Amino acid sequence: MMQLNEEEYQMMIKRCLRCSICKWIPQVQIKSQKYATACPAIDLYNFHPYSGGGKIILALTLEMDRIKPSEELRDIVYKCTECGNCAIACKFLNTLEPLEIIMRLREKLVDAGYGPMPKQEAYIQAVKKHNNPYNEPHENRIEWLPDDIQIDPNAKVLYYVGCTSSYRRKEMAIAAARIMNEAGVPFNILSDEEYCCGSPILRVGEINTFRQVLNKNLDVIESKEIETVIFSCAGCYDTFKVDYPLYRDYEFKVLHTVEFFSELLEAGRLKLTKEIPLKVTYHDPCHLGRNAERYEQWDGDEVQIMPLISINIPPKPKKTGKGGIYEPPRSILKKIPGLTFVEMERIREYAYCCGAGGGVKSAFPEMAVNTAKLRIEEAEDTGAEIIVSACPFCSTNLQDGINSRGSKLKYFDISELLMMALGLEPEKLKQILGEAA
Amino acid sequence: MLQKQVLEQFQKIVGPENVDDGEVMTNAYSYNWCMEFVNSMEGKEPLPFSSIPKAVLLPSNVEEVQQIVRICNKYNIQFKAQSTGLGPWNQPSSDNCVILDLRRMNKIIKIDERNLFAVVEPYVSGAQLQAETMKVGLMVHMPGAGPQVSPLASATSMNGPGFTSPHTGHSARNVLGVEWVLPDGEILKLGSTGLKNNSDWYIGDGPGPSLRGIMRGWAGAKSGIGVFTKVAFKLFPYPCSTKFKLSGISPNYEFEIPDYMKLYVIDCKSYNHLEKVFLKIEEEEISFICSHLSSYGLGAIFSNSIESLLDKIPIVGMKVPLVVLIAARTKREFEYKQKVMSKIMIDFKLENVIGSKYNPNSLFYAEALRSNLGLHGFIATGGFQSSKGQCDTVKVCLKTTKMSIPLKKKYIKRGVIGNDFGEGVWITSYESGHYFHIESPTMFDQTDEKSVKGMAENMEENHQFDLIKHLGAPFFVEGDKMHDLFGPEMMNYHIWLRKIKKAFDPNGIADSGFYISAK
Repeated sequence: MMQLNEEEYQMMIKRCLRCSICKWIPQVQIKSQKYATACPAIDLYNFHPYSGGGKIILALTLEMDRIKPSEELRDIVYKCTECGNCAIACKFLNTLEPLEIIMRLREKLVDAGYGPMPKQEAYIQAVKKHNNPYNEPHENRIEWLPDDIQIDPNAKVLYYVGCTSSYRRKEMAIAAARIMNEAGVPFNILSDEEYCCGSPILRVGEINTFRQVLNKNLDVIESKEIETVIFSCAGCYDTFKVDYPLYRDYEFKVLHTVEFFSELLEAGRLKLTKEIPLKVTYHDPCHLGRNAERYEQWDGDEVQIMPLISINIPPKPKKTGKGGIYEPPRSILKKIPGLTFVEMERIREYAYCCGAGGGVKSAFPEMAVNTAKLRIEEAEDTGAEIIVSACPFCSTNLQDGINSRGSKLKYFDISELLMMALGLEPEKLKQILGEAA
Repeated sequence: MLQKQVLEQFQKIVGPENVDDGEVMTNAYSYNWCMEFVNSMEGKEPLPFSSIPKAVLLPSNVEEVQQIVRICNKYNIQFKAQSTGLGPWNQPSSDNCVILDLRRMNKIIKIDERNLFAVVEPYVSGAQLQAETMKVGLMVHMPGAGPQVSPLASATSMNGPGFTSPHTGHSARNVLGVEWVLPDGEILKLGSTGLKNNSDWYIGDGPGPSLRGIMRGWAGAKSGIGVFTKVAFKLFPYPCSTKFKLSGISPNYEFEIPDYMKLYVIDCKSYNHLEKVFLKIEEEEISFICSHLSSYGLGAIFSNSIESLLDKIPIVGMKVPLVVLIAARTKREFEYKQKVMSKIMIDFKLENVIGSKYNPNSLFYAEALRSNLGLHGFIATGGFQSSKGQCDTVKVCLKTTKMSIPLKKKYIKRGVIGNDFGEGVWITSYESGHYFHIESPTMFDQTDEKSVKGMAENMEENHQFDLIKHLGAPFFVEGDKMHDLFGPEMMNYHIWLRKIKKAFDPNGIADSGFYISAK
């Protein structure tokens, strides 16, 4: 996929067919009426402008001065998790980039003084002040770190913990660190030199602040001769992998823990000794799945082969989700002794969103939890006892969905489950097996 | 915007969260595909926007629809109902109109696998229904517009040819009972669903005169005669095993082609030869798909981008292609169908390029089974629409094709429509070849004013051409201007249509921009 320039944006917003393909997962993947849809916003709010295509129409009407920037427009544009499922569906045959258009539309609303939403503006100010969107004291960033975790200040591997794992989902940070210790992987952390990755700022269209945050992070990491950065947060991973290179190149390698741990398992550096005889399903985070696809340079030519018909030589890259990380988490789960892995209907590049992304969790908490409830229902329908994922933001929201729905499902991060299978959490394992029984 | 008292009454009916008369919402609903050339045809600026609706409402059931329609009558506000909403027919034709977006009416009421019919609400998509009917070994007819659109809209209010038509028929012939909110707010149930005792949806007629012709006739009233809130239509046996397994990442899926499917792509070389082959294959009742496309169209159905279309040289060079897909549930059935096809191939001296000169990606078969092939029409310029649309004998359909080539070439030469050498048509058969339909998909660029205006002229001239040359009524005989053009040449049907409109909609409340006004 290429990043849209203004000219392409202006051309693309004139090309929506209003076909509604964006509201559904790829047509050939529809397995039931219940789980055929792709977009939480249109599922919950129903009016066409909430869909990906609807937002393209909004972009066009705005450019043509048929509407003005307004709070009415802002509320529709920001009621979107930016999950990108519309973009996958559209490009089954078409060439539009609804997600890119939505992101650009948000930037335009910011420029016009109408974006982001007030609660999103509040967390941006928190990042500016405390380096995290939760308004937590910066000095508490490493409170998650137990004394017995081995940190190597000279390690070439850096574990970038992220704000949510540092302050809200500490169990994920602890699990990731313990597993690396178990595998004998020397790693370092940035401690009080770690700052918000900027994802929640970028997603709501505040590009200037995002650039500042990005530079701050890269300055620190590049000063430490790091070769590989490991992320347990899908949002941080996506932002470093996909978005940072648009603004500044870097040399180090980025990996999500599911990729890294899957490699360690393959290499025999992690031994799974404990059985987890439970039925488990996996939720693909949007940031780790379809959206974790890097932008590509395209230096080709557009050649008109006959009037009105042009081709691109070579073909322009388009975002299809092909760069997503789908197999490593599944590979890990399938290796856990006794575990029965079951899939939901909407998976991989057309997985349904948890509902938290794009600034929705803070600005529209009801939309976030209602989306999570839909996803939890889908997980329940597999017969699974446990839903796992690989993102602290999905974790928070799916757990909220479980609670709100009164579901019997348990949520764990995949690294927590892995830690149990490694025998590192015998009490926790005993407890969940007891509860399941 | 609505008057406050009207808005409050609508809010009371559907809930405040399901009615919106704001500037943003109403402007967004004024956009649709092909509006730019429809505007151009009406002498307006070629923009993709219609009149702006006064408000958009999201009713959730027939009672709410009925109450909305009654309020519309009370305050003299027109309504336009839409389901999945693709195309200009969904747009209001005046600024005194509200849109009823039927999106919340999305239930599959019934799948009767023994009696082979389904009952659905407006916002059930073809793909959703197909996913459910496949579980009981059945399939649904979907129009060429694709599996994402509403089968209810196709069955009640539009035309309705589809790629699987040899197997699944035509929307006009598949519709059974309907639940219909008339423009004055009365609810009418057609056919067996209106019986006093043991009502069900199995038939759309009688006793008494059939109202199906009034309900939809040739190509539907596009909401100009009320709102259809439930429909029953026929289901058909799924043609092969319902095992449906894909791997890979969209759009490059690999499909495990079910046993007992075979594709034939044949160059019939001449239209005369095509006529005979077409009739023979359909007489034998063996095809799941049997379509004539231009060589460009043929390349398009096997491609998922304009760039990949260029790889299809072995097939896009064909003169008069015919695509035949046979499918069977058993080995014996499959052998029989292949044997018949082999005999036809020998008798008519035909060669199948599949397996020798060309092999499509496996995904083609998945899209064929899910009725997704029509959407490939968009890959070249992004915009296309069909002129023509007649249903007639194969002879007339091919006569139309041949006679229309110079006309299309005229616009190709002007550079305002895409170049398919003037041969760009799609012809498919129904009911064992008893009738066929022809349409002429035409590519244009909706972002290019010259192309849009040229497309509009092309459509206008095609209509005149069809009329003068007695080629039958095209799809888009809709709106007063077109009915007044075709009616006097066709038994003055437009006079009768106006009488129907007046009888069913005495206050002129159902927007008739794409139907007919009572005048």
